[in-house]
Amino acid sequence: MAMVEVLLLLAVAAFLAGLAGSYLGIGGGIFLIPFMTLALGIDIKVAIATSLIGVIATSSGAASVYVRDHLTNLRLAMFLEVATTLGAIAGAVVGILVPNIYLFLTFGVVVLYAAASMVRVAETAKDRAYRGGEDERPLVKRLNLSSVYFDQEDQGVYRYRVERPGAGFGASAAAGVFSGLLGVGGGFIKVPAMNILMRVPMKAAVATSNFMIGVTAAASAFIYYSQGLVNPQLAAMVIVGAFTGTNLGTRLLVRSKAANVRFLFAVFLAGLGIAMAARALGLFGGVL
Amino acid sequence: MITARAGLRLVQHRIAALRRAVLTEVEDINRLIYHILRGGVIVSVAFLLFGFILTGVTGHPLPDKSIPPRLLGAELIRFTPAGYLNLGVLVLIFTPVARVLLSLLSFLEERDRAYVLMTGIVLTNLLISVVLLA
Repeated sequence: MAMVEVLLLLAVAAFLAGLAGSYLGIGGGIFLIPFMTLALGIDIKVAIATSLIGVIATSSGAASVYVRDHLTNLRLAMFLEVATTLGAIAGAVVGILVPNIYLFLTFGVVVLYAAASMVRVAETAKDRAYRGGEDERPLVKRLNLSSVYFDQEDQGVYRYRVERPGAGFGASAAAGVFSGLLGVGGGFIKVPAMNILMRVPMKAAVATSNFMIGVTAAASAFIYYSQGLVNPQLAAMVIVGAFTGTNLGTRLLVRSKAANVRFLFAVFLAGLGIAMAARALGLFGGVL
Repeated sequence: MITARAGLRLVQHRIAALRRAVLTEVEDINRLIYHILRGGVIVSVAFLLFGFILTGVTGHPLPDKSIPPRLLGAELIRFTPAGYLNLGVLVLIFTPVARVLLSLLSFLEERDRAYVLMTGIVLTNLLISVVLLA
């Protein structure tokens, strides 16, 4: 394939990744890496490095809008970022030392996990509403993690209480390791962790995840950049494409119901996970 | 040439917007973060565009590998496409870092010790990455 074709296809793919990423609270690397390795035949480590750049562009583009609209929980983001940046450093160091086959296999498993967790998530206005009862956890109270957001879907202002801060912290650390290891934002772990474990409403979880992803990816991107693994031409296409995509994705998210679209993506991710695992195991003659 | 001028105008517009934000909306940290994140991406894209224009003008080849930051200065002075494309990528990588620095300042201002500590830890982690970069 000619270089010009590769660059144009990559820009289009990055646009779609930025669109989906900003809508789902993920970095979009989960779409970009398989596309680059499977369709464009780019070396997986170069693909990971390029994807990390795309993740930062998606995160910065989307998070800026969500922060302006007060959808992002800035305190919760800071709390969980401590975990993700630690995990990311560990993951990136492992990534440079580990052979490619294990990367594909791990990626396959992670994607399947993400698909399963997306199917399980459905949210109604009742789920979003504040729950009384027991007192807040001391840590949540001490760090003032609970917050308020405005949902355009039903023009409601929702006050929510953050639960299980410890479990959320642990899940974010794992997300950070995957981010460094595989060049994905780790949003597919963070969003379910916040939404299911910590009981943060879906849209706030998406916005907060998008906000955090940039920092985690930056830590890993530094390391890949220093290894000479960032191809500036590919990076340029991904930056422009992803940023354009987020301008559309953020507009869609504030208006729509996330639950329906999540299901479609779960199906898509499941297929992707099987493809990656099959490639690692050498099934289908390595065609997939 | 037309794209270069359009790009320059976009950057000027962004810088003006950022200055307005700093002057009039310092109290609103959300607004400031919005301009830092968006401005970072726009400036990055401007450098990338400049890099591609340089290729067209000078006929230097496009790079396919990242240049270590300590060698970047020489490339920038010689106006090579490689220098400016890499600078664009680096600006983007540093955008989230700038945002964390801004958060640190805002927590310091609020005298929120727990959050100053946490932001400090995050910045330290990012610094460790930079050290690994060398």
